[in-house]
Amino acid sequence: MRRAFLPMSTPLVEAYALMKQFGSIQALAGLDFRVMPGEIYGLLGPNGAGKTTTIKIIAGLLDATSGWVKVGGFDPMMHPIEVKSRIGYVAENPILYESLSAREFLEFVASIRKIEQDEANHIATQLANAFDMTQYFDSPIGALSLGMKQKVALVASLFHRPPILLLDEPLNGLDAKSSRIVKDLVSLHAQNGGAVIFSTHVMEVAEYICTRICIIHQGKMIAEGTFDELKSKAEGEHETLEEIFLSLTNERGKVVDMTGLLGEAFCRNEAG
Amino acid sequence: MKLAEAWRLSRPPYKEIVYKSLAEERGRMWWGGFGRGPCIEEAQSELRVTKKVLRIAKFDKLIVAVFNVVASVLPFTMLVTGSPLHGLPISISLSLAITFGLTTLYAIQTFSSFVGPESSTLLATLPLSKADFSLITLLSFVRSVDYLAIGAILGQVVAVAYLTVSPLAMVLMLTVSLMNVVLAVAIALWFVRIFYKNLSHGGKSGGARILRFAFILMWGALLFGVGFLFSVPWLVFPLLERMLLNPNQISSLFFYLLHPFSSGIAIATLVYPATGFSSALMASLAMVGHITLAGVAGKWVLATVKRTSQGSEIEVARKSTIDLSIKTYNPLRGYVMKDLRVSSRSPGTAFFFALPIVETIIVSLLMVNLETLGASAVLVATFMGGICTLLTPLALLNGEGRGLEYTKTLPLHATRIIASKTLITIAAYMPVPLALLSMALVKPLTSPVIIFIPYFIILAVASASVFEIKLFLGSAAKGEIAALVQDLEKLIVGVLALLIPEVAYAAMYLMSVDHILAILTMGIVTFSELAVALHLLKRG
Repeated sequence: MRRAFLPMSTPLVEAYALMKQFGSIQALAGLDFRVMPGEIYGLLGPNGAGKTTTIKIIAGLLDATSGWVKVGGFDPMMHPIEVKSRIGYVAENPILYESLSAREFLEFVASIRKIEQDEANHIATQLANAFDMTQYFDSPIGALSLGMKQKVALVASLFHRPPILLLDEPLNGLDAKSSRIVKDLVSLHAQNGGAVIFSTHVMEVAEYICTRICIIHQGKMIAEGTFDELKSKAEGEHETLEEIFLSLTNERGKVVDMTGLLGEAFCRNEAG
Repeated sequence: MKLAEAWRLSRPPYKEIVYKSLAEERGRMWWGGFGRGPCIEEAQSELRVTKKVLRIAKFDKLIVAVFNVVASVLPFTMLVTGSPLHGLPISISLSLAITFGLTTLYAIQTFSSFVGPESSTLLATLPLSKADFSLITLLSFVRSVDYLAIGAILGQVVAVAYLTVSPLAMVLMLTVSLMNVVLAVAIALWFVRIFYKNLSHGGKSGGARILRFAFILMWGALLFGVGFLFSVPWLVFPLLERMLLNPNQISSLFFYLLHPFSSGIAIATLVYPATGFSSALMASLAMVGHITLAGVAGKWVLATVKRTSQGSEIEVARKSTIDLSIKTYNPLRGYVMKDLRVSSRSPGTAFFFALPIVETIIVSLLMVNLETLGASAVLVATFMGGICTLLTPLALLNGEGRGLEYTKTLPLHATRIIASKTLITIAAYMPVPLALLSMALVKPLTSPVIIFIPYFIILAVASASVFEIKLFLGSAAKGEIAALVQDLEKLIVGVLALLIPEVAYAAMYLMSVDHILAILTMGIVTFSELAVALHLLKRG
């Protein structure tokens, strides 16, 4: 079933000259991008590149130091309710109400999002079964493993069928089956006209799932495009996204140096 | 491993315990998305928040320790002017009772994270022997109450030494103080462990709910008991003096067997042998029994800490659920349900479920000896009941904990969150007017109009709740002292919101000697307060 979110030519998420300063640290240094309906937009970068900050600004959890962002045509700071109604957000480290059970947590989310009883039941049952949550449905969230918490957060983010999914490292701690389900759900969401912003530092995941990739490094966009476009931008022959990434971020030399140093250290230890 | 080294290594796990406890309990740190000004910036930096949590933990422990020292010494100050002969057993008993309560209350807050094995996870990966591992975990546990215990023990021993100048009394006081701390820690650990065990197994059966409620009542009784003893020792002192120093009464015999009174009497008898031999012997035997009990409790604490550190203490319930249906409510009711569930499952915030009972007891105690119910009695009872309720909004806000990070991602106005907490606060206050109404059915009133006083105060309670929460959301204290002052400010504003309508009633009555005019004035004041509260809500 295809849902009409916005005209296909209107971006669902748009960011312009996005900057974020945390004290003396510049987390984002002028980021521009647009995510159209039907796109899975990958934010790719090393730890501390600014992926999570970008997603938090889009979700209205952080205010940008300068620049602006529009979600479904709304500014997240000026119209937080409109924006939060349109997004499904999964945080990098899912922070939920630890003393509630998955069932109670989903009841809370469904109530706040004003989801009809039948609809909520239907989605909860399907997703809980798909993610193998039935054994832990009535256990306190605080006692669950990281993967299980991630599943609860994922189900809660999909509950209201949002047009925009903001997924910050959503595969953290997931088993292979659940990981695959998430990837398929994300693809299905995009096919139905939704937009997904998917942050990861795992190259294979970005290569497999994203229709367009934005490589961020030290808060700046290094390159943007499809896998083939990025391949052509990178100098030399590269077969994998990892090689492209290292080439575009000029990290290849550093990796070689570091591996050499570590190798020497380990050899010395073993010899000692 | 040397003890000094184990003590040094126990610091990181201890930090983890207090961090987790505070991170879960203290909503203040996570209000960024709803608050204003610097609070937003604060919530943005995880590092800053973490540091703040640890600073607050240190400050909290220090404040409670200072409080514990004061509380341990305060009952002895009454002896400086009076006769130690009669007062010493009561001073010792009161000092032990207050420090026992304070230590237990503080430990309940801190141990909530200790019952899970996560606190020792970082140690588990290191090449440590089982014995060293257990020792480090135990010391990290001891660190949670070290200042408090040392403060209380020193305060009590020094006070007894100064008053009696008896080495034997000092040694006995040291033993009894230590026993008091061990018992307090054991009870706190037992309470928290049972509470979490209950929840980890679902906690939904009737028996589990009753058990949880019984613990909540115990918590409430402890809190109000400590508050009562600490705030009005001059009232408690003569009452206990009458009961303890009259060994012919059956109730006195009961006190001779009960900790901490047995210890108080036993130590005092050694120094001033004025009490009868049989009574002194009974108290001494009871004290020995309590010391033995503390030894057993200490051993249990050691074993429990060891089991917890090895992750074999509490297992998560795991059962296949066939029914995956969920219930949805309107957003406000959904939030109220969430608030009730979250706060009922934390030993630190569950106390307000005991408030209705505590309020009913307070109101009943204030009224029970009166032949007729006058305006002044109703005003005092209403005010006392209302004061208890004022803790509810702050407890609910703190109970949000880190979960609030998630709520910030939901399409929800802060107004709805405030409304949810205000509704719960009003519900917590409702036993007061109902108890007064019940009293009015059996006792004559000086004027029928006065029965409306507690009902008008419902509006004042609602306004007080809104004021407190608005202040909470708007505040972002830079330092710990400032945070403490701000917490007091919130409570003072709440107290004023309750007090002003009552003062208006009293003032108008004194001027006009007309209850109808007085209640109308009270009504105008409460409605005005509510209008201001609603305006603040709308503006926010």
